[in-house]
Amino acid sequence: MSAIGIRIESVSKRFAHRVKGEVYAVRSVSLTVQPAELLTLLGPSGCGKTTTLRMIAGFEQPDSGRVFIGEQDVTGLMANQRNIGFVFQNYALFPHLSVFENVAYGLRVQRQPEGDISRAVSDVLALVGLQGYERQFPNQLSGGEQQRVALARAIVIRPRVLLFDEPLSNLDAKLRVHMRGELRELQKRLDITAVYVTHDQEEAMAISDRIAVMHHGAIVQEGTAEDLYRRPASEFVAQFIGRTNLLAGRVVSAGPGGIEVDVVGQRIRVSDEGTRAGLGQTVHLVVRPEVIELRPEDSGAGVPGTIVSRTFLGEKAEYEVRVGTDLLQVASYNPVQRGLFPVGQRVTLHFPTEGIQLLSEGSA
Amino acid sequence: MGGPAGRFLIRRSPCFLEASFVIGIAAMRANSWRRTLRDPALFATVVTLWALLALFILFPLANLLARTFIEGGHFTLANLGAILRDANHRQAFWNSLLLAALVGLCGTILGFLYAFTAVRANLSRAWITVLDAASLLLLISPPFTSAIAMIFSFGARGLITYHLLGIKGFTVYGLHSTLFSETFTYFPIAYLTLKPILHGIDPNVEDMAFSLGSSRWRVFRTVTLPLTIPGLANAFLLLFAASLADFATPLILAGNSFPVLPTQAYLQITGLFDLKGGAVLSFVLLVPALAVYLLQRFWVSRRYYVTITGKVGAQTAIKSVAPWARAPLLCACLLVAGVILYFYALLFYASVVVALGANHAWTWQHYRVIFTEGLKAIHDTLIIGGAGMPLGGLYGILLGYLVAKKIFPGRQAMEIVSMINYALPGTIVGIAYLIAFNDPPLVLTGTALIIVACYVFRYSPTGIRATVALLQQIDPSIEEASESLGASSGTTFRRITLPLILPAFFAGLGVVFIRSMTAISATIFLVSINWTLITVRILENMTELSLGPAAAFSVLVVIIVFVVIILISGLLRRFRAAGAVEMTSILGG
Repeated sequence: MSAIGIRIESVSKRFAHRVKGEVYAVRSVSLTVQPAELLTLLGPSGCGKTTTLRMIAGFEQPDSGRVFIGEQDVTGLMANQRNIGFVFQNYALFPHLSVFENVAYGLRVQRQPEGDISRAVSDVLALVGLQGYERQFPNQLSGGEQQRVALARAIVIRPRVLLFDEPLSNLDAKLRVHMRGELRELQKRLDITAVYVTHDQEEAMAISDRIAVMHHGAIVQEGTAEDLYRRPASEFVAQFIGRTNLLAGRVVSAGPGGIEVDVVGQRIRVSDEGTRAGLGQTVHLVVRPEVIELRPEDSGAGVPGTIVSRTFLGEKAEYEVRVGTDLLQVASYNPVQRGLFPVGQRVTLHFPTEGIQLLSEGSA
Repeated sequence: MGGPAGRFLIRRSPCFLEASFVIGIAAMRANSWRRTLRDPALFATVVTLWALLALFILFPLANLLARTFIEGGHFTLANLGAILRDANHRQAFWNSLLLAALVGLCGTILGFLYAFTAVRANLSRAWITVLDAASLLLLISPPFTSAIAMIFSFGARGLITYHLLGIKGFTVYGLHSTLFSETFTYFPIAYLTLKPILHGIDPNVEDMAFSLGSSRWRVFRTVTLPLTIPGLANAFLLLFAASLADFATPLILAGNSFPVLPTQAYLQITGLFDLKGGAVLSFVLLVPALAVYLLQRFWVSRRYYVTITGKVGAQTAIKSVAPWARAPLLCACLLVAGVILYFYALLFYASVVVALGANHAWTWQHYRVIFTEGLKAIHDTLIIGGAGMPLGGLYGILLGYLVAKKIFPGRQAMEIVSMINYALPGTIVGIAYLIAFNDPPLVLTGTALIIVACYVFRYSPTGIRATVALLQQIDPSIEEASESLGASSGTTFRRITLPLILPAFFAGLGVVFIRSMTAISATIFLVSINWTLITVRILENMTELSLGPAAAFSVLVVIIVFVVIILISGLLRRFRAAGAVEMTSILGG
């Protein structure tokens, strides 16, 4: 069975709110997930990502809009008629059933013959690395093992699509990194379309083919991890994907190759991709902490500043540097070799002439 | 005891005030209708349950009100006026309130003494077990066990008054002994209400007061007691309601000089064959009963402070009771426990001697009597209890599941309606059933069904609440997981939810069975030549002064109930061991 995609068309969902009356959890969201693609819905809590996922699953009914799985309109179907695999944040294993019976549940509901069931269950348990766990009960398993059972239970029914609702957020940090690699590998191996919900941008960047960033019930930007990082469309995306300095500056020259912006007393060249900023206009630059280079004060040109704080993290050191009235974040990689600046030290900041992005929305 | 129904009312009512919100509610209503109609199993269950609730709760109650207020198709207050003009009835009304208030007061004090001693006096586990056992004994017995023991002790030929003290002409009948007997019968309710509250007061809070230089008495007065006041009010109201509803104790002990409403209503119907008078009297009883219930449920029970201290801090030795005060407190409690044990020992003794107070020769005669001419009552009771048990258990978890988990129109109304027969005094329920099912369209009088239905709809709320409590511990995603794996809501309920709420099922059916064995106030109106009950036979024996068989019957009931409780606790333990969810008590609520 080759993979099929998912399409949602201007889907909205309202909820009753105790104080505000009625609020939109999701407002007119449209989204296309390509066959065999892993798309992540990324956003802070309350942004509507889980509600969107639950509408794809059929746990919530949209107030308006349509949901398609493949070419089938599933908007009116209950979750049990959609043939999806859903993996929950808290695993949602059946506490009274053994690992075997948990995984076999969906097959038993389909009334498959006993022989097929036991074959399919052992195959899928082998796939997730849980052979020999058949007779254990959920409360005897570790968090990672429970999540593997949940995954096995979801994929054994050969669902058309896989939906993940923050599946790793209850695991500790190391296991989380390991499991996300396994999840991704499994999704590729099964050649299945997947929608993945998380609030962790690193997880999203690690696992996804494409990311849709959600904010206040709407999708604010879609693209690959690299797209979003390099060309954030808004301050929100710039701040949410990675860390960033958002610097206001005035356009001092504009030409066909790009524009020059006066920022903190220095002229920075920016490749202007279609923003058409005019001379004298105020624009915002997305300056990532790692592109700024710090040098000692006496190294000539550059913007002078003072180190305000320093956090040593091993592979990098993070500084806060005061430049005039602004406080800039600067990350310096390989600090052990390159040396650390003490707090209070006067330094110069050097911006690259390429690769700095203009925020496309006007004022942000 | 604050159930979800009340919480919903309180939580949601401010929303209704917002005009803009009304549209949203309407939209959601439409949505919930849509959802309900799309899920045939849910729809069918909701419709069936509403039909049952309407038939066995609303219809009888409506009949009772109609009988009271409608005469020849018109609304009238004449019936009510006629009853209230009768001085005897007015006296019964005030007597009922007086008795209930006194029982509330005495029972709460006794319950507090018990709870305070158990929680705060640093007793060993063994002593606490003794206190618990004594109060449990009362909770599971027929409510008039202590009344019978009172007659044995203080009656005309009473063991204590006549034989021990040689008093002749002592009248056991009246307020004093009814009060005494009801206080003993119902104080365990106060004990069970107050114990967790006292337990929930973090000893560190008291330590704090000690560290500020307070004396023990001052800490008790200014910290412990104020924190317990909502619990005391709650216990008082629960006891007030229990006494107001109690029928058997006053029937045995109150006598002619102290009429109360439930007995008046009973006599009006069985003695004077005046159904209408009985209906009106039970309406008069309904008003204070409902007021107390609403007060308890929606006001007092949400005024607990206990949780505010949050997590109980480091274990600290409890210092609330001075060493010299421990012994008197324990003695007082043991005295109470001693009286209870004495009651039961006396009951047993009376069942194995020829005639208590006259001929103390050993005999099995009374047991022979109850297993020959009384066999029908035993047989009927077991059949009725046995039939009510699975029905009540099923009804309890179905309704509990629906109101806790599903969104459908009229959900809150369903929960509230399901509690009505539980909240009302049994006399009212019994008379309402009698009126409703005596004439066409539905004649059930004289059948076992009417008794079974009465028990199921009156005593299942325990199961409903246990189900709701259990379901609140089960994450909704577990059912969604089942749904996403292709299971219909019916399959999900059968294979996932049902096994997880099985403890509530056992608790629910256990309570229905136990109450079928011990209750009398409602079903005394519903028994017939065809179907009778042990409790009714006990009462008949008491009035015929054949005390031996009455005692033997009572002992039998206590034994049956004990066996059932042990079986159910065993089942509960087994299912807890299987790893699902914990279930605290089968007697809660």
